[in-house]
Amino acid sequence: MTGERELGLVLLEMILLVLLGPLVTGIIQKLKARLQCRQGATILQPYRDLAKLFRKGTVQADTASGFFRSIPVLVLAATVAAGALVPVLRAGPPAFPLGDALMLLGLLALARFLTAVGAFDAGGAFGGMGASREMTIAPLVEPVLMMVVFSTAVAAGTTELGALAAHRGTPWILAWRAADFLGFAAMLVLLPAETGRIPVDNPDTHLELTMLHEGMLLEHSGPGLGCMVLASHTRQIVTLGLVAALFFPIAADGAGAADLLLGAGAFAAKILVLAIFLALVESSYAKLRLFRVPQYLGIGFVCALTALALRIL
Amino acid sequence: MAFSSLPTGTLLMAACYGAGALSSLLARWSGRLALGVGHLAALAGAVAGLGVSLGVLLGEPGRTLTQPLPDLFPFARLSLAVDGLSAFFLLVISLVAIAAAIYGPAYLRAHSPGAGPARQAAQVLALNVFLGCMAFVVCAGDALTFLLCWEGMTLASYVLVVSDDRNGENARAGLLYMVMAHGGTALLLVAFLALTERAGAFDFAALRAAAGDLDSMTRTTLFFLALGGFATKAGVIPLHVWLPRAHPAAPSHVSALMSGVMLKVAIYGILRFAFDLLAPVAGPLPPSWGWTVLVLGTTSAVLGVLYALQQHDLKRLLAFHSVENIGIILIGVGLAMILWRRESAGGALATVALTAALLHTVNHAAFKGLLFLAAGSVLCRTHVRNMEELGGLARRMPWTAGLFLLGAVAISALPPLNGFVSEWLTFQALLGGASRFHGPAGLVIVFSAAMLALTGGLAAACFAKAFGVTFLGRPRTSHAEHATEAPASMIAGMAWLAALCVALGVAPGYAMRLLDAPTAGLLHGPAASAVVTAKGPLVLSTALMAPGTDGTAISMTIVAALLIALAAMAWVLRRGLRSSPPRTAPTWTCGMSPTARFDYTATAFAKPLRLVFAALYRPRRAVIRETAGTPYVLRRIHYAGVVVDLSETQIYHRVQRGITVLSRTIRLRSTGRIHGYIGFVLGALFVALLLFGVGQK
Repeated sequence: MTGERELGLVLLEMILLVLLGPLVTGIIQKLKARLQCRQGATILQPYRDLAKLFRKGTVQADTASGFFRSIPVLVLAATVAAGALVPVLRAGPPAFPLGDALMLLGLLALARFLTAVGAFDAGGAFGGMGASREMTIAPLVEPVLMMVVFSTAVAAGTTELGALAAHRGTPWILAWRAADFLGFAAMLVLLPAETGRIPVDNPDTHLELTMLHEGMLLEHSGPGLGCMVLASHTRQIVTLGLVAALFFPIAADGAGAADLLLGAGAFAAKILVLAIFLALVESSYAKLRLFRVPQYLGIGFVCALTALALRIL
Repeated sequence: MAFSSLPTGTLLMAACYGAGALSSLLARWSGRLALGVGHLAALAGAVAGLGVSLGVLLGEPGRTLTQPLPDLFPFARLSLAVDGLSAFFLLVISLVAIAAAIYGPAYLRAHSPGAGPARQAAQVLALNVFLGCMAFVVCAGDALTFLLCWEGMTLASYVLVVSDDRNGENARAGLLYMVMAHGGTALLLVAFLALTERAGAFDFAALRAAAGDLDSMTRTTLFFLALGGFATKAGVIPLHVWLPRAHPAAPSHVSALMSGVMLKVAIYGILRFAFDLLAPVAGPLPPSWGWTVLVLGTTSAVLGVLYALQQHDLKRLLAFHSVENIGIILIGVGLAMILWRRESAGGALATVALTAALLHTVNHAAFKGLLFLAAGSVLCRTHVRNMEELGGLARRMPWTAGLFLLGAVAISALPPLNGFVSEWLTFQALLGGASRFHGPAGLVIVFSAAMLALTGGLAAACFAKAFGVTFLGRPRTSHAEHATEAPASMIAGMAWLAALCVALGVAPGYAMRLLDAPTAGLLHGPAASAVVTAKGPLVLSTALMAPGTDGTAISMTIVAALLIALAAMAWVLRRGLRSSPPRTAPTWTCGMSPTARFDYTATAFAKPLRLVFAALYRPRRAVIRETAGTPYVLRRIHYAGVVVDLSETQIYHRVQRGITVLSRTIRLRSTGRIHGYIGFVLGALFVALLLFGVGQK
């Protein structure tokens, strides 16, 4: 079993996730463009967008209350805090207790709740519509995600992600059982929903018929919008990191520089594979009608329940 | 406070509530004076209750202090007995009562300025009787005191329910409450009398001894009788129908007490019966008890929040959330019952489950009390409960809005507030239970965990709606437009509960110390703080597997500190690189001039979920269009939508129809001749004697 992760390492991993979040989006965008036979923007485009947003001024709706300005701040803080709970470079629990998978899901839910609340403040119908749709999908995703986490936690005896990954260790990847396959299948079904991508949501559109997450961001502008966009990049990489920690706990055991580099390489490879999966799905499927989404998530629910049943029975 | 001063404490508490009740006489001279003095006395009583409970909880563990009461009845000795469990529930009652007493006078004056002194006197009297009876129900040391106070609690809360506005709806709500509450009390009476008859005495020690040699069939029957009685009071689905009607009808600080505290007294009853009075001397509880409670709790949690989602009356929505939260508490209670004395690992997991339930009890009291008080502030400033007619209140009532948001985050089980802590513990207990029970039992527990996750997500959706529609956007009516901030004393009452929510969320480890006495006393096992805060007061930890393996440890304090630090950094980022002041501009509404009609409504917000769960809601809607000649020019459009409560239509309406049919049949037989009636009476007497004779054999 690997050792504990020190405070510095945890903070480093958190910062790494925030910095690399936009890159993952850039890679997915580039892949999508190439799959559609387009040249596409460079993979650094999301960084340029963010830099531009932080340089701009703010326009605020005249109906908005005092809460509106603090919403992006809190959303970004909650999402980044969730990033601190994902093991990146090494497996093993943090040297000091911080939070587990339930806390991670709770922090992401907090960010989502605050985003939805902020969407109401401008007093336009689009914000409310986006919030309504997002808060319809979210409660259906959460229990399934929780069950996937439980299906691995029951085997490992802990819900702390670092300890979970450490408990299984690298060789475990070769010993996947039926429950792991089913749990991973459920996770793949959930990934587009949790990262706001086709077939559940479409991140590239601002049409009122299709949008979920983007609808809630319409009234944010300038640095505030920058915070919200950075939060959704971070949320995406955190979700991918959660999948990596649950199902591909490959990491070097030691704490030396070479081991950390190896861990970083392994993490990058895992995230890249999942990003390619997202890009492929997004290029090959159409967005589902909103009321088809519960049925789609139902597939995930069945997979997760079966995985859990196989673990327990 | 030392143990010896407990009689003084309880006496002081009784004296304060008594004085409060008597102060209603002051209303002869001035209604305002009666309100002020009555609430002040209630505050003093609550502080005394807090002292008593803290004295017991922090004092020597495992001791029960009994205090005989004056002999009012020749056949029974009345007494008080305060142990850890009683003291914990007294603590919950006192914490919310303090807030209600601070909040009450200003609310009653602002909400109903035209109330006569008679009504004010009745409210002051009923409030003090209500609080006093609740405090003494949990301190009761014998069945008679328990039942008398229980009944006093019901009657006083009935008076408060019908006291607020004199309209037909409140009267009907009160009547339904009375009928349901007394149905429940009847079940309790049977359970208690069956025990007292065996024991030949009324005090709990004798009942406990008498229950020791019950056969398992009788024991289970008695438990289910008591469970039925307490579940009616707690508003467990399908016995909840009175709750969403009666709770909103009462004045808001009484709603806070009814939802936050009175339901908990029923939880106290369930715990007292299951783990203390009826528990077998050794060995686990019968499995049917725990599983029933677990399933009832899961059902209540999910259905409660689903029905809450479709409510647009702010207080009714909160009342349905009480059904949900009672369900969450019962999940913990049920799990503790299942696991108690049944696991090889030394009972630590049952302690975790019970700790989760008790912690959620105090958490729910704090955030639900806060939310009801905030809803009351809105109500007394706008006189509107329908959130579709509100909106834009955050700019007009910033304190109320902020406190409501805090309560909303807490009740949605989001970190870093207290709701998350107790749900986290419940999840850990469920997960531990699932990994111990193999087969279908484990699957039921896991399914219940999934439902708990669903409940949390739906609660977040519901409160995004409640907060967004009520407080944000534009005001939809002039009521909302001209609202002003609530008086300072009302905000103080809310702030007290908000502080509790934050403290219990950020540093829950310190509260575990208060849970030691009830958990250790009830389960005769390890205490809460030894299990949950084994790694220090700032860390919560549980071991899912056998002790020794790696458990899970989280620290709410560190996460909260991390959140604050990150928020400070994000704030700098939010200011941006260009320090120009923000411009304001109207929201883009597709080229039309923006009005409040562009704001998303609560009905529209909840519509996708209404369609997803249509099988449960059976939604019906009627749209009437008035057109001007051609179908393309609409003059008016009228929309009406209803959602049914399945247990109401499937159970209660059928019972009601059955009663109607029966009474019609009886009316056909009632001829008006006296001989016929005498014949019926004789027949009934004969059957009764026959049954008695059969029973004697």
